[in-house]
Amino acid sequence: MNGEPQPGGWVGRELPRKEDNRLLRGRGKFVDDIRLRDMLYLRFVRSPYAHAKVVRVDVSAAEAVPGVVCTLTGPEVAQQTQPFIEIGPDPFARIKDYPFAVSKARYQGEPVAAVIATSPHIADDAAELVQVEYEGLDAVVDAEHALEDKVLLHEDAGTNRVWRGVFEYGDMEKAFREAAHIVSIDHLHFHRFSSTPLENNAVIAHWDAKDEHIYYWCNNSFPSFAIQFLAAHLGIPIDRIRVQTFDIGGSFGIKITSYPQMAACALASKKAGGRPVKWIETRSEHNISSAHGNERTFRDTRVALDRNGVITGIASRHIDDCGAYPRYEPLGCVIWAQVFPGVYRFKNARIDFSQAVTNKCPVGPNRGYSRMQHLWFLERVIDICAHELGIPGDEMRLRNYIRPEEFPYTTPNGCVYDSGNYPKMLRVAKDRIGWDDWKRKQAAARQDGRLIGIGIGTTLDSGTNNFGQSQIVNPHAPFSGNSQGANCKLDIYGEVVVAVGSCPQGQGHETTAAQVVADVLNIHPDMITVRTGFDTERNVHTGASGTYASQFAVSGLSAVHGAAQKLKTEMKRLGAFLLETSEKNLEFGAGQQGPEIRRKDNGQAVNYWRLANVVNVNSAVLPAELYDVTLNCRYVWRAPFKVPDKEKKYGNLTLTYASQLHIAVVEIDRGIFVPRILDYVAVDDCGKVINPPIVEGQVYGATAHGIGAALMESCVYDSVGNMLTATFSDYTPITSMNMPAVKYAHIETPSPHSYSGAKGMGEGGAAPVHTISAALQDALFASGIIIQDSFNNGDSLYRAMVSKEICQADRLVKLEKRF
Amino acid sequence: MYPRAFHYHRASSLREATEMLSQLGEEAKLLAGGQSLIPLMKLRFANPAHLVDLNFIQGISYIKQENGAIHIGPLTRHAEIQDSAAAAKITILHDCAAGIADVQVRNRGTIGGSLAEADPSGDWATVLMTLTTDVHCFDGKRKRSIPLRDFVKDAYTTALSHDELVSEISIQLPPKGSGGAYIAFKRAAPVYPTASAAVQLTVEGDTCKEASIALGCVGLTPVRPSEAESALRGQRLSEKTIAAAAEAARTACDPQSDMRGSAEYKREVVGALVKRAVEAAVRRARGEQVEVSHLYA
Ligand SMILES: Cc1cc2nc3c(=O)[nH]c(=O)nc-3n(C[C@H](O)[C@H](O)[C@H](O)COP(=O)(O)OP(=O)(O)OC[C@H]3O[C@@H](n4cnc5c(N)ncnc54)[C@H](O)[C@@H]3O)c2cc1C
Repeated sequence: MNGEPQPGGWVGRELPRKEDNRLLRGRGKFVDDIRLRDMLYLRFVRSPYAHAKVVRVDVSAAEAVPGVVCTLTGPEVAQQTQPFIEIGPDPFARIKDYPFAVSKARYQGEPVAAVIATSPHIADDAAELVQVEYEGLDAVVDAEHALEDKVLLHEDAGTNRVWRGVFEYGDMEKAFREAAHIVSIDHLHFHRFSSTPLENNAVIAHWDAKDEHIYYWCNNSFPSFAIQFLAAHLGIPIDRIRVQTFDIGGSFGIKITSYPQMAACALASKKAGGRPVKWIETRSEHNISSAHGNERTFRDTRVALDRNGVITGIASRHIDDCGAYPRYEPLGCVIWAQVFPGVYRFKNARIDFSQAVTNKCPVGPNRGYSRMQHLWFLERVIDICAHELGIPGDEMRLRNYIRPEEFPYTTPNGCVYDSGNYPKMLRVAKDRIGWDDWKRKQAAARQDGRLIGIGIGTTLDSGTNNFGQSQIVNPHAPFSGNSQGANCKLDIYGEVVVAVGSCPQGQGHETTAAQVVADVLNIHPDMITVRTGFDTERNVHTGASGTYASQFAVSGLSAVHGAAQKLKTEMKRLGAFLLETSEKNLEFGAGQQGPEIRRKDNGQAVNYWRLANVVNVNSAVLPAELYDVTLNCRYVWRAPFKVPDKEKKYGNLTLTYASQLHIAVVEIDRGIFVPRILDYVAVDDCGKVINPPIVEGQVYGATAHGIGAALMESCVYDSVGNMLTATFSDYTPITSMNMPAVKYAHIETPSPHSYSGAKGMGEGGAAPVHTISAALQDALFASGIIIQDSFNNGDSLYRAMVSKEICQADRLVKLEKRF
Repeated sequence: MYPRAFHYHRASSLREATEMLSQLGEEAKLLAGGQSLIPLMKLRFANPAHLVDLNFIQGISYIKQENGAIHIGPLTRHAEIQDSAAAAKITILHDCAAGIADVQVRNRGTIGGSLAEADPSGDWATVLMTLTTDVHCFDGKRKRSIPLRDFVKDAYTTALSHDELVSEISIQLPPKGSGGAYIAFKRAAPVYPTASAAVQLTVEGDTCKEASIALGCVGLTPVRPSEAESALRGQRLSEKTIAAAAEAARTACDPQSDMRGSAEYKREVVGALVKRAVEAAVRRARGEQVEVSHLYA
C-alpha cells in the first residue's frame, strides 16, 4: 500500500482536499438540508425604521392564519430571559440587548416579532399581517455625530460611547519636538462592508421538554462563544445546550454573532410545545440585519518623521462605529492593537480610540476584523507621507519596515512578532509583477494623459489571539489566553478518528488535520477520518473553539498533533506488550492488514484492529499496568500567553503574524472614472505551509474579498438610516467578471511559536484594500488628490477629480518642514 | 421570501393566453422568462393572483430573416439571440443579448418579456430604439403592429391593453454601410447598467449619412438625444464631431441619483459611452470586425 510517506512527510504536500469529493459532488450537508419531524418555520417581522419606539405589536391577525402555531414579540421574550451578556464595562454594560426590539427598534431590519408556522410560505404570509405601531425617532448614522449624544440609542447607558481608551507608548513629546517633518492628515475613513458568505445564516432549534435540552443544528462559526451567551440569556445550564454544525457555506466572521437569532428559534420551539423550529435567512435579511464589518474614522492624525522619511511618531484619534448593539464589541477596540505599528518600526504613538453605537446593523468580526481598518490607516499614512516628502512608495516602506534581523520583534505595546521578512516580500512581489517595466510603462502612459498608478500594500494577518486583551477593554472580563481541543482515537475496530472543535467553511481542516496525524502515525491521510464541524457532545471543544481569527494551522493543528502524539504513546505501550518487545524496537506504518505497529528486528506486526480490540472488547488479556490506556485521547493545546498589563495596555496579544505584500497596477478610465486593475500580485508568508493549494486558495479568496471591498462593495445608509444596499443588485458583491488574474507567490519564514513553523492565515489582512488605495493615490497624486476613503468607485473618483468635493490634498493634508 | 399564493395557468397558444387574461381579469399576469416578474413576486412588490405561463407554447421562440427584416418570437431567450447567426446580421443585437446579466438570466429571460416590462434600465428597448422596430401585438382577435417608440409609453408602461400580448418583434435590416454598437457601464454582471448608449450609424467615406442614438437608464424611457444625432448626421466624422455628439448626449439625458451613481456622474458616463459606441459603430460600418463589450467596475 502506498502508505509510506515521502521524505518530509505529508505536512507541506500538495494533497487534494478530502472534503472536495463531497462538496464538489453536491453531497455537502448544510443546515437547510436537514428536515425534522414536525418541524416549524420562523419568519421575523422587522423594523422598517432605523430608530423608532415600538408602541404596540398586534399579532392577532397573524395568529388567526391556519398553519400559524405561535408568534413571539419583544416584551414576552424580555420577560422570560436575561439580556445578553455585554463584553464591555459600565456604563455600556447596562444596555439591554434581546433577540427582539422590546421598546425601541434601533436599526432598520431589527426583529420586532416572529411568526412560527407549519410551512415557510405560511410564515411569510402571516408575517405580513403582524401590525406594528411605531413612533419614529431621529436616527444617528454617523459615529462622530453619535458621540455628541444628542440622540441616544440606549438610554440605560446614558451615552452612545461604548468605549474609550488611549493607547500611548514611547515618548511622543520628544518625537514631535525632534521631528524634521510633521505631516497632518485631517480625515480618513474606512467604510462598512461585509465579506458576504454564499450561505446565509441558518438555524434549527429544538427545545426538548422531555430532557430539558436545547438542540441546535446551525452554521454559527464560533459555537463555544455562542453557547456562553445563550446559556446565560435563556437561563439553562450550558451542558444542556447541544450545538452541531455541518458544512458551512462561508462565514468570514459574519456568522459569529448569530446567537440572538439562535435564541429566538429556541424560544419559538419552547413556545410551540417543543417542536423544532427552522429559520433560514433570506439574502435581503442577511444584507440588512446579520452583521457588517466595522466602519472607522481617523481624525487629526499627526506624523513625526526624521529627515529621511523614517516615521518616529504617530498621534491620531480613531472612532469606530459598531452599529446598534455591541455584541462582539467592544473587543474591536483592542483587537487592532495586535498590529499596533503594522509592519513598521516607529516606537512612539498615541491613539485615542473610541467606539460609538449608531442606528445601523450591528457589526460582527468580518474577515480582517479590526486590524484591517488600522492597517489601512497605517498604509495611508505611509503613502501620504511618502508623497508629501517626495519619496517613492517602495523606498518609503524599506526605510520604515521592521528589519528581518529584528525578529522576534517586540512592538511598542508588547506584542511579539514571531518572524517575517518584509523587504524580501517586496523584492519577490516586484520581480513577479515586473516592477521596473511597469514603472517605464507608467511614465510613458502619463505622457499620453493616461492615469496609471502602482501601489503597494504590506499587511499582517495576526492569528491565535490572546483573549487576555479583552481585559484591556474590560478589566473584569473573565477571559485570557487561547486554547483548542482535539481528540484522536482508535475506534473499536481500529479506525483512526480525529475530532476537532473547529467548524470549517472551506479552510480544508479535514485535509490538514489528516496530514498532521498521518505524519505522526506514518500512514496515508486517507486512512484517517476527520470529524470536523462542531458538536458539543463530542466533548473536544474548549471555550475558544470555533473557526475564526486565522488560527487553525496553529491552535487547531497543535491540538490535533498533541492528541495524535498522546495516542501514539499509548499505542506504543500497547504494541510493546503485544509484540513482547521494547518500545524502542517498534516502528509505525501500514502493512498488508492496514495501519500497524511493527518490530524493527523481525518485522512482526500488530495492526490497529488488534490494538483497539484488546483495549475495547478483549480486555482480559491486558495487564493491570495498561488499564489506563484508552486509545481515546483528548488533548488541549494552550497558547503560551500572559495576561496583558491592563493599565499600560501592554502585552503579547497574538501568537503568530502572517504577512502579505500585494502590488496593484491600476488605471483610472478617463471617461467613466472606473479604476481597472491592469496587473496584480499577491505575496504571502504564513510560515511553514501545510498544504500549498489550500493556502493559495485562501489567498485568492481573501484577495477577491479585498478587491470587492476596495472597488465594489459598500453598505450604504441614507441620512435617516435606510439601508440602500439590501439586495445584491445594489450591494454588487464581486464576481469572477470583476477579478483580475492574480499572480501568486509566497515566501516562508517559519514561526518559532508553533510546533510546525506554521502561522495562522486566511483573513489576509485585507491587503487589496490598502494596495488599491495606494495605487489610486499614485495615479492621482500629481493632481492633488489624496485617497481618503477605503472605498473608491467611478462615482467617488469623479467627485474627487472633477467636482473636487472630496479627497483634496490641499484641504486634508499639511506638511510642516521643521528643519 | 416566498411569493404570495397565486393560481398557475398553462397556455397552449397565444390565443389561449389572451383568453385567459381576459377571463381572469386585472389580477392575472403573463409569465415568460420570469426574470423580472419572479424577483418582484419574491420581494412581494408584485402580487398577481394568477400567472399565465407562456413557456409551453410551441413555436413562439424563433429568429428568422424575412422580407428585409429580422423577426423574433416573443419567447425567444436572450441567449438564443446571442447565439443566433440571423441576429448577428445586426451586430448591435448581439452586443445587447450577450451583455444582459449572467448566463442564468440570459437562458431564461426573453425579449418579449423585456419589452413588455419596459424597465427604464432594460437593455432591449434602448437598443431597438436605434433601429426600425415594430412590436406586433395580439389580443386574441386583432393583431396590430406598433412602432417601438410608441409602444414604450413610460417607465413600466406600454401601449398593451390588459388582454393583449407581444406576439413578435420585427427589426428592419439596416442598409449597407450601416453599423452599430451598444455599450453599457455595469457595476457587476448580474445587475442592470448604470447607463448605456446604443448607436447605429450609416457611413459613406468619411461622412456620417444617418445617425440614431438611444441612451438607457438615464430617463423614464430610453432617451433619444436628437441634438447628438444631428451633431453627426451629414457631418464629416472626426474627433470633434464625435465629441460634440457626446456632449449633446450628456445634455439630453435626465439621470437620477441612486445607488448606481450620482446624476452628474451618470451624465459623465453617458458622454464617454456615446463616444466609444460611435467610434465602434463607425468602424463596423466600414466593415471592420470590432468586438464590443460592456464596461464593468
Ligand atoms: C439578476 C438579474 C439581472 C438582470 N440584468 C438585466 C440587464 O442587465 N439588462 C436587462 O435588460 N435585463 C436584465 N434583467 C432582466 C431580464 O432581462 C428579464 O429577462 C427581462 O427584463 C424580462 O423578461 P422575462 O422573459 O424574464 O419576463 P417576465 O419576468 O416573465 O415578465 C416580465 C413582464 O412582462 C410581461 N410579459 C412577458 N412576456 C410578455 C409578452 N409576450 N407579452 C406581454 N407581456 C409579457 C409579464 O407579464 C411581466 O409583467 C435582469 C434580471 C435579473 C434577474
